[in-house]
Amino acid sequence: MTIQRLVFDAAGLIAILFGGLMVVARNAVRGVLTLVVAFFALAVCYVMLLSPFIAAVQVIVYAGAILVLFLFVLMLLNIGHMPPERSGRPMQTFLGSVGVLVFAALLLGTLRGAGAAIPATTGMDPAALADPASLSRQFFSEYLLHFEAVSVLLLAALVGAFVLARREKKP
Amino acid sequence: MIGSIPLGDVLLVSAALFSIGTAGVLLRRNAIQIFLSIELMMNAANLALIGYGAALGTHEGQVIVFFVIAIAAAEASVGLAIFVALFRHTETIDVNKINLLKW
Repeated sequence: MTIQRLVFDAAGLIAILFGGLMVVARNAVRGVLTLVVAFFALAVCYVMLLSPFIAAVQVIVYAGAILVLFLFVLMLLNIGHMPPERSGRPMQTFLGSVGVLVFAALLLGTLRGAGAAIPATTGMDPAALADPASLSRQFFSEYLLHFEAVSVLLLAALVGAFVLARREKKP
Repeated sequence: MIGSIPLGDVLLVSAALFSIGTAGVLLRRNAIQIFLSIELMMNAANLALIGYGAALGTHEGQVIVFFVIAIAAAEASVGLAIFVALFRHTETIDVNKINLLKW
């Protein structure tokens, strides 16, 4: 058990633990805050998997921007203090739980041993893999069109969010 | 193997996170919490992509995850705008009470 693997497993366990806490959280604000912890743990996992740039993006964009947007909307609508919804549909909960258990079993069964099919060492060495400079070189040559398409998509999302959330003027 | 991390560990964490996200989507009734669970599922998929990319020694995993994060940002902004409009219209975000399209 090397230190690398130990850190990855510990961070993965923290992510799973706080992800679970998010699902059972009574209060949506508490759910967002536990998810921030889970995303930070996932960023640690990304660093261990030789992707420091993605780890930085995860912290800045996911934990920093997207979850703060969630928090902002929750505060804006003031729905953090709604009474806990027990609308009394036990059949729904039961069937949902059965579905999740079956799905998890299928997923684990499918993924067991999937890692062994990968050839041992092909491709580039770890130092080049973790290097943001060579990653960005690939971004702005091979994937330049995709990059620009995403910028147009973000603009469309900006306009769409504005149109959807705008208060319509009373005639 | 990525360094000394076996790919099996990565896939295990990813599968567990995805299953937790599925549980949240199926069992919660608060629309915002369902949305948060979807974000968790997306992160589980990202983890698997990064793991496979690193194990194969290519940058493609990181490139795809970068685009996924950018699109997740767009999705979150539009989705939350829909929730704001919905809440203004119906005064609730309980998905059992939002049944306009049900019948």
